[in-house]
Amino acid sequence: MRLGLVIDLDTCVGCHACATACKQWNTSSITAPLTDYDPYGKEPSGVWFNRIRHYEIGEYPNNKTINFPMSCMHCENAECVTVCPTGASYKRPEDGIVLVDQDKCMGCNYCSWACPYGARELDRESGTMKKCTLCVDRIYDETLAVEDRQPACVLACPAHARLFGDLDDPESTTSRAVRERGGYALMPELNYNPTNHYLPPRTRPAIPTSDLPRGSLARKVKEWVNRVVER
Amino acid sequence: MNPSLAVIFLTLFSGAGFGLMAMVVVVNDFTIDGGLSPLRTAILVALALLLVTIGMVSSTAHLANPKNAWRAFTRWRTSWLAREGVFAVMFYPVAIAYLGWVFFTNTDQDDGALVLGNVAGLIGLATIFCQGMIYACLRTIRQWHTPLVPANFYALGLALGMTIVATSRVLADGPDLILVSAACALLVAAGVMKAIYYFWIGAPSGTTLQTATGFTGGRVKLLDQGHTFGTFLTHEFSNCISPVRARNFKIAVYALGFLAPVAILLAAAHVSLGLGVLLAPLLAFIGIGLERYLFFVEAQHVVNLYHGRMPGSLPQMHPALRGGTVSPAAVAGKSRLVPSYEKR
Amino acid sequence: MATAQHDHEHGTSEVKYSTCYMCACRCGIKVTIENNQVRFIQGNRNHPINKGVLCAKGSAGIMKQCSPARLRSPLMRKPGTERGAGEFVEISWDQALDMLTERLARIRATDPNKFAFFTGRDQMQALTRLFAEQFGTLNWSAHGGFCSVNMAAAGLYTLGYAFWEFGDPDWDRTKYFMLWGVAEDHNSNPMKIGIEKLKSRGGKFVGINPARTGYQAVADEWVPIRPGTDAILALSMIHVLLSRELFDWEFLIRYTNAPFLVVQTPGEKGDGLIYRDEAGNPLAWDLKKEAFVNGLDASCHPALFGEHKTADGRTVKTVMTLLAERYMDERFAPENAAKICGVPAATIERLALEMAHVAFKETIEIAVEWTDWAGRKHDKFIGRPVSMHAMRGVSAHSNGFQAARAIHFLQILLGTIDCPGGFRAKPPYPRPVPSPGKPARHSAPNTPLDSHPLGFPTAPEDLVIDDEGRPLRIDKAYSWEAPIANHGLMHMVITNAVNADPYPIDTLLFFMANMAWNSSMNTANIQDMLRAKGPDGEYKIPFLVVVDAFHSETVHFADLVLPDTTYLERYDAISLLDRPISEPDAVADSIRHPLLALDRNVRPWQEVMIEIGARLKLPVFTNADGTPKYKGYKDFITYYEREPGIGFLAGYRGADGSKSLRGEPNPQQWERYIENQGFFQYHLPKGIRYMRFGNKGYLEFAKEAGFLKAAEPIVIELYSEAIQRFRLAGLGLYDGPTPKERVDQERLATYFDPLPDYYEPLEQQRIDKEEYPFFAVNQRPMMMYHSWDSQNAWLRQIIAQNHLYMNRARGESLGFKDEDWVWVESHNGKIRVQLRLIEGCQEDTVWTWNAIGKQSGTWGLKPGGPEATEGFLMNHLISELLPEKPGERRLTNSDPVTGQAAWYDLRVKVTRAAPGEEGVWPTFANVPPLPNAAPKPDILRYNTRAKAR
Repeated sequence: MRLGLVIDLDTCVGCHACATACKQWNTSSITAPLTDYDPYGKEPSGVWFNRIRHYEIGEYPNNKTINFPMSCMHCENAECVTVCPTGASYKRPEDGIVLVDQDKCMGCNYCSWACPYGARELDRESGTMKKCTLCVDRIYDETLAVEDRQPACVLACPAHARLFGDLDDPESTTSRAVRERGGYALMPELNYNPTNHYLPPRTRPAIPTSDLPRGSLARKVKEWVNRVVER
Repeated sequence: MNPSLAVIFLTLFSGAGFGLMAMVVVVNDFTIDGGLSPLRTAILVALALLLVTIGMVSSTAHLANPKNAWRAFTRWRTSWLAREGVFAVMFYPVAIAYLGWVFFTNTDQDDGALVLGNVAGLIGLATIFCQGMIYACLRTIRQWHTPLVPANFYALGLALGMTIVATSRVLADGPDLILVSAACALLVAAGVMKAIYYFWIGAPSGTTLQTATGFTGGRVKLLDQGHTFGTFLTHEFSNCISPVRARNFKIAVYALGFLAPVAILLAAAHVSLGLGVLLAPLLAFIGIGLERYLFFVEAQHVVNLYHGRMPGSLPQMHPALRGGTVSPAAVAGKSRLVPSYEKR
Repeated sequence: MATAQHDHEHGTSEVKYSTCYMCACRCGIKVTIENNQVRFIQGNRNHPINKGVLCAKGSAGIMKQCSPARLRSPLMRKPGTERGAGEFVEISWDQALDMLTERLARIRATDPNKFAFFTGRDQMQALTRLFAEQFGTLNWSAHGGFCSVNMAAAGLYTLGYAFWEFGDPDWDRTKYFMLWGVAEDHNSNPMKIGIEKLKSRGGKFVGINPARTGYQAVADEWVPIRPGTDAILALSMIHVLLSRELFDWEFLIRYTNAPFLVVQTPGEKGDGLIYRDEAGNPLAWDLKKEAFVNGLDASCHPALFGEHKTADGRTVKTVMTLLAERYMDERFAPENAAKICGVPAATIERLALEMAHVAFKETIEIAVEWTDWAGRKHDKFIGRPVSMHAMRGVSAHSNGFQAARAIHFLQILLGTIDCPGGFRAKPPYPRPVPSPGKPARHSAPNTPLDSHPLGFPTAPEDLVIDDEGRPLRIDKAYSWEAPIANHGLMHMVITNAVNADPYPIDTLLFFMANMAWNSSMNTANIQDMLRAKGPDGEYKIPFLVVVDAFHSETVHFADLVLPDTTYLERYDAISLLDRPISEPDAVADSIRHPLLALDRNVRPWQEVMIEIGARLKLPVFTNADGTPKYKGYKDFITYYEREPGIGFLAGYRGADGSKSLRGEPNPQQWERYIENQGFFQYHLPKGIRYMRFGNKGYLEFAKEAGFLKAAEPIVIELYSEAIQRFRLAGLGLYDGPTPKERVDQERLATYFDPLPDYYEPLEQQRIDKEEYPFFAVNQRPMMMYHSWDSQNAWLRQIIAQNHLYMNRARGESLGFKDEDWVWVESHNGKIRVQLRLIEGCQEDTVWTWNAIGKQSGTWGLKPGGPEATEGFLMNHLISELLPEKPGERRLTNSDPVTGQAAWYDLRVKVTRAAPGEEGVWPTFANVPPLPNAAPKPDILRYNTRAKAR
């Protein structure tokens, strides 16, 4: 089993709902809290597991705006785990989720250096590295309704631009979406083999207009041609 | 990358310490220049231990949660950082035993001294290799992901070590050419190695914002990074240096780190400079310290691409980001909001 | 089975359901509470609005709840200090209410209009309105006048419903969605859900907007348009459709006034009015009988086109003929429209034809039996799956009413009104066109008004003016300056009150409205006005009461501050009498109830209003013996009936809770709502879900539910006779009130066009466009749209500084580069801001995010935060008055029809700041902290676990 997310760039409107939902669930979750620094002051900052960046592709007027959420990709070759000297970072063999054991982490930042996706953020107050847990405390929680056993970001996303599932199962919604929509992983050249995938914006065929009548009302207005329609 | 002083000191001083240990052993193994006296061996090994200790202690300042530092050896099977720790820790008993043996037997040429010295020297060399590999194994940082990094760490560590050995020779016994020549040769070799590295990192990288986002069809430009101020990521990875500044730094690296020590040592080989010869290792440390600063600040983590930074360009970001995020010191000791039940 | 990571640090937690209030979307929320703290807010999967999802604002509700900006007790301006000095003393609720009641009682006994009560982003307008009505003041409105009244008015005077609460695209079926002037919307989560549905079906989404912001990011086609030119774009598309005869004949004949005949006697009284029979029925020309017939008669065969002579020799033409003659004109041809709106002619033509293709070639059918208004049975609904939505970008222009009408015309010609796949009404809409109900005109001491303060004028007789033609309302709504000001002109209240124009007032009460900051144009001057004193040394606005939950800039200017609760701490009814949450398929309303215990000395404003109402002995709130009629808000909502069986909440009525929509009060109604996750839905039977303007089943249902007075068909008005009556008044051709001032006559004659047309926005007509080459608009980012206290600890990390955005190529041609500090100057003032060059901006437009800028020290932020030093308001550049013209009184910078604030008519020039000129300008003095302000922590470690790491 290889659990992960598929992000639909065709519908992500860049609203930051996923990031904020993640923040609120995880600030009271297994790596709680997610510290905020200077929250009411001059340079507010804090620990987030999911950040949305916004890009412009192409040049005006043929430009497109892309909203680009990024969180832990739960890589198959998770170098962040390989490089961790303490064993705090680990990848669960049963579902591929990459986690940080807060009781073991010494806060050396090395795992964050090994991560190409910026998925790990140090909490300076606890001195430990924190990251997306794929809401591991939600997705298996049998006290929650089945449909609630999903990561907080997926539950929240108003544009349903986030899919959660088993990327090992070819019939999962996530695998199907990747297959059907040309889903891709980021920076494949690094060979991390990320579990999370991105669906590119759809391209749509042009709407035909040649089948429409060419009639000209300009003539008819003068000729007063009416159709008989019962009111 | 963030040029953290803790990590600069770690690699600079421990590298010099391990290099010094190795050079002491080499000089004694081959009785170059007649070998070192047991006393000088002892002093230099003690100095090597001191340098390694400065490096190791300063490295813990880099840890956000040092109380778990003892766990850092557990993943030696996969982690170069853990291996470095294991070797560094193994170094101490052997080096101290060597020091004790030499000090108490007053000889550095018997079998015991040779075995202990060579084992300590090899452990030191292995530690330098691990240190190099800590950086070289990261595919995320192109400037580090090269065998040139451990090669450079060796070249610089050994050159610093030999510079210290040569300086001690000149300081104690007056002008001499053999060890000075060896130190100069290692410094020149290190300078050449570094030049190869600088040339190599100048080559363009294949990874761009286009490939990183998957939008290879057109120009991709950051519109908004999704946060107004710095984050851990910008603090840790966003440091950079302008090409002009980098060039000036490199001139300083070569002038202080290589040319000046070579010149001073060569002068000292012919005329007595007295304590002035100490300038050679001192300037070498400063120069190679600057080299180490550049090593970090020129290294560009791929995550910077996502923040809109193109290779070789200065960031166009909020001024607050350029210096990284809010410094930990700025908020240390200030009021905190804790859940009410925590106050109980 | 993989390992569960159980978190044993959590104690007992409870899940409760309520309604979000981080913006006006009103999503259902599922709130997990631990230790009287919010652990998690998620969307309620069963809720009709958000169906389980939640936006960034909703998730950041936790931070609102722990915001240091929350007010903590009633405050009074410290005696002897100046208003706006920020010196307050804490007082008790008794002191506060005694003070206010005494003052209001005196006003009510003399001249109730001296009390002006204006409310901002509240969702309890039915109650605040009732309070004002009972008090007897005409001077009440909510914030619609500076928000989107143009949309509401255009829809209600055309379709009987409008965008947002009143209608929705048929997200499950639409195949083509055109979005006009919307970066983010009131209806935020439903729109995101809907756009995803559309896209996953392969439908097309076209975004018309000067900036590629918000939803435009995922638009399949972005159409960069010059601000304020939407009308010409829409009308040019109509030109294309007409010239190729691409319109829905049957729809126009059956459901609109297109076949009605209009009298054509230019220069004479009665010109442009509908030709009617003696009973007042509109006449049409019957093609079979070849005679004039009652156009409302079900069996007639009216001609869509034609010109006839009446018996008395007058020329009459069908509405459709007038429409075709108007829009077939060459000035609406795409080549000519392109010059105005900046959209290429080929694009205009293609978009029109694409929509025609989808409407007429991709028609959908739903096989359901239904009966039309005339009793004819149909076996299916025919759907033309093109839908639209429009909001602020169209609305906030002084030509927005007509622009919105033009957009509705496009929808009507395509036959996409309340049909499957089209633009659907949400009950209690549609209503008759125009809506019934006239604004109250008469105010008398100690007497309630005889109708609502707001209504729908259809003729000059309905204006709220005195016999001399002077405005009777402080905001001059329903005067000649803004005759159809259906939502009032809140943005003019401070200016008018300070100028005693039309009269001075005594007490001004703002509820949840930041009129001293981003909700006013011309902010710096408005702050001065709030401090202004007359020659007698008294404040020109003698008493300013501010009701809010947070320390806003406006609180700073209050004489009396009444602190409100947050949305997690009180009861609220989101009522059908107000701004309901209905969906096209279901009538719905909802509630909030207290989820958290109060931790400070604050009270819900509704409770306070009901108490003040009883103290003032306002009839609705008082028993015959003078005792309070209701124990509080909860009790009021349970028992108050507007008419028998109709109360604030439509669900679980009747003594046993078994009745829906109409029924006697149920003492357990709140409890039933709480049991049902905080909302009520009445699902409409399938046969009454479409074509409701002419669907007999629906019309009868709506009458029974109290939505309509009579089950009569609603005729869509392409041609607005009501508007024409005002035009006739302007032309002096009206038997009734006519304006005396030339400027009013001209405005009525020009802008009260019974068919929508494009005209240049009013301010731009008076501005040197060479001098001020750029259009300037502002928008709200999704994570802050319509949010109160948006600069909370989490959301402000996402954005705490705004930039001025300009088209990159245009900016580079002018020598600008990213991060340059620039001066932006309008006819009204200048600001210094930081520039960013982007691709997604129309070449002639600059824009910014609104309301990121804050006054230092407010909103619980520490002094000198980025919102105060690097964030800015464009408001300083915008005047609430049009540029002066000699010999003319000062006029509001608003739509001449509706009084909608014309925020986006602004033109500016942009120049580089001198070297060393950095930082935003102007800046404002730091607001000192309130006496009992909560601490602002340097480190926030919010969590509800029993033990923090």
